Amino acid sequence: MMKIRLSRGMIDVLSGAASIGCFLLLWLALTRHTGLGELIPGPDVVLAALFKGLFGKVGRHGILVHAGYSLARVLAGFAIGGAAGVVIGLSMGWSRFAEAVFQPLYRVVRPIPPIAWIPISIIWFGLGESAKVFLIFLASFANVTLNAWSGARDADRQLIGAARMLGANQRQIFLTIVLPSAVPQIFAGLQVAMSNSWATVLAAEMVRSSEGLGWMIVTGMSNNDIVQILSGIVAIGVVGFVLSVAMRKAEALLCRWNHGGR
Amino acid sequence: MSLEPRRPVEHVIECENIGKSFPAPGGGRREVVRGITLRARENEFLALFGPGQCGKTTLINLIAGLDSVTSGRVLVNGETVREPGPERGVVFQSTAIFPWLTTMGNVEYGPRMAGMGRAERRRKAQRYIDLVGLRGFENAFPVQLSGGMKQRVGIARVYCNEPRVMLMDEPFGALDAQTRYLMQEELRRVWEAEKRTVVFVTNNIEEAIYLADRIVVLSNCPATIKREYAIDLPRPRNYVSPEFLGLRKEITSIMDSTL
Amino acid sequence: MRDDNRRNQYFLVSLASVITVLLVWYACIDVLELKSQIVFPGPVKIFRTFILKLHTRSPDGATLLSHLGASLKVTMLGYLLGAAAGIPLGIAMAWNRLVDRLAKPLFDLLRPIPGIAWIPLFILLFGIGTFSKALVIFLSSFVACTVNSFTGIRQTKDVHLWVGNVFGATRNQLLFRIAVPTAIPMVFTGLRVALGASWAALVAAELLASNVGLGYMIQQSRAISRTDIIIVGMLAIGMVGAILDKILHAVEARVAKGMNVR
Repeated sequence: MMKIRLSRGMIDVLSGAASIGCFLLLWLALTRHTGLGELIPGPDVVLAALFKGLFGKVGRHGILVHAGYSLARVLAGFAIGGAAGVVIGLSMGWSRFAEAVFQPLYRVVRPIPPIAWIPISIIWFGLGESAKVFLIFLASFANVTLNAWSGARDADRQLIGAARMLGANQRQIFLTIVLPSAVPQIFAGLQVAMSNSWATVLAAEMVRSSEGLGWMIVTGMSNNDIVQILSGIVAIGVVGFVLSVAMRKAEALLCRWNHGGR
Repeated sequence: MSLEPRRPVEHVIECENIGKSFPAPGGGRREVVRGITLRARENEFLALFGPGQCGKTTLINLIAGLDSVTSGRVLVNGETVREPGPERGVVFQSTAIFPWLTTMGNVEYGPRMAGMGRAERRRKAQRYIDLVGLRGFENAFPVQLSGGMKQRVGIARVYCNEPRVMLMDEPFGALDAQTRYLMQEELRRVWEAEKRTVVFVTNNIEEAIYLADRIVVLSNCPATIKREYAIDLPRPRNYVSPEFLGLRKEITSIMDSTL
Repeated sequence: MRDDNRRNQYFLVSLASVITVLLVWYACIDVLELKSQIVFPGPVKIFRTFILKLHTRSPDGATLLSHLGASLKVTMLGYLLGAAAGIPLGIAMAWNRLVDRLAKPLFDLLRPIPGIAWIPLFILLFGIGTFSKALVIFLSSFVACTVNSFTGIRQTKDVHLWVGNVFGATRNQLLFRIAVPTAIPMVFTGLRVALGASWAALVAAELLASNVGLGYMIQQSRAISRTDIIIVGMLAIGMVGAILDKILHAVEARVAKGMNVR
């Protein structure tokens, strides 16, 4: 058993490396030897630019600093939006009155993609950080609210009955039963919120900004610099990947009880 | 909850002519419990034995206060039952233990809600965890436990809350036959170590005779009382003794005649 | 528990909530004039603008409906192509080990990059026409459809496949009679996520570079500070998104009849 499993893992790694390697080689060969080279640069050029940019400068900052700007905006808006979403969502799931009050408003606001708020956020908040944080707030708020809401609403009636029979009062039932029941759903919402936030911050930076990864690719566009765009996209992919892995790790840690097996 | 001494009552549980009906899908009402009068003395082990799906669980829920009667009234300790409370502990068929809490977290839940200090409630919970034989599994989450172990947690959780009355709704119904025998024996041992007033719902006649002081036989939907049997065999009882088998035959025969 | 009387009560609460918001909005802007109509137009002005935009081309060159038509056309093009490519790829990756080994690593490379991050690259390579926008939408739709179809097929229960084997089903029959029907709910989840992502990507693309479409309309209106048109545009974007989602739900209910769709 052990031997088979090990070799299967090896095959996965090898085939992954082979597949990506083939792709890079094909890309390299096509840019070196065909007309494609005049249109886009090869992977060697992009990676070289990426490494140079990490510690050198793209515009006023290095790529790491640009990524830091984008990340800081995401984390600020995500923290506020996530917290507000959890509070409003849980109250909607717990109290039918709160549900009746917020539901119609939520129904109007939710289908509007956060990106569509970019123009009005610039009018309301100007060009500074608050406009971007507001957009990320919207991007994370909607998803988290929805999931916290359904998570709290679908809390197991029998578990609530068990808690009452053990002497818990309403406040204790909310804190010890409804809240933990909703945690897995809230986490699912936070994960979607995080990837939406990442997309939204890029859009916001592309429309109006003077730093960040979105700024980097959009100035690449206006300066006709495809190398800058492609190295920016690689950086965006890496940060996006790190964010989603971080969210999954946090979920695994906090929802240990939800994952079966010894 | 009150600190005043318990009023001496002759019967811990008194159900006076209670009935329950639910709105039926498609109009009308469906009667599930009809005219049941039932009493249980202090530390009596009472088994409710009956066929089918309806009536028994509802009866338990009515005594627990998880559901309200449509007619008659339920008294526990001489007080009318209106909502669930810590003096009536329920062991659910589906276990209903909290999946996000460990064994310890589940067992100490009641005292924790009542505001007992951490060290004290841990000590208390540990005693009942040991009593149901779960030592070593204090920090396991329910997903890591087998069906029988989960039901032990459910029993310890209720014991730890020190209810006046324990209501058990087919607690071993979802277990395999082997585990079921084991759990019956465990429950007898635990109950004899710390006696409580128990109302135990089952559709398994052996289980009822093995455990109970008194068996109330219920009819099928709507549930009414058909007969009562006092069982005064010494414990632990022998499943194949002539008295046991005789009782079993008798109760089974009156059930057959009603089906 | 939730009888009709109660439900009507909560409906009234919802109604009151909407009316209160509208009244407060009206009172703050139109009566008390706390904010200028230019920054935060009142409900009356927005309604007037909405009616006006139905038949006026100024100031952004097209009526609301022709902007909407242009946006919908591009979205549908990219969305449907993305689904047509993504669903088969997801199924193939889940079903065939070779495809999994070769395509999955490349796909995982692509996945963490938000669709809208490709906008600058495509605009630079292909100009600001329909093709670039459709390509961005294609990518957004493609990723969501692939991921969810893949997950759906992987949810097939072994025991169902064994039953198929016992009855002598061929590998193709196992796929189309057992695995694909199992995956249908997840495929639809993918289609819904993809629709939301496509619609958001379209707005982003139109904000950045376009000469028609709802995103273009709100971006132009920002430049001339016509907040009323921006809000009309946002509401239109939200409403159309919600309607598209409803249509997809209806299709799902048809296709997945008898399967446990909520």
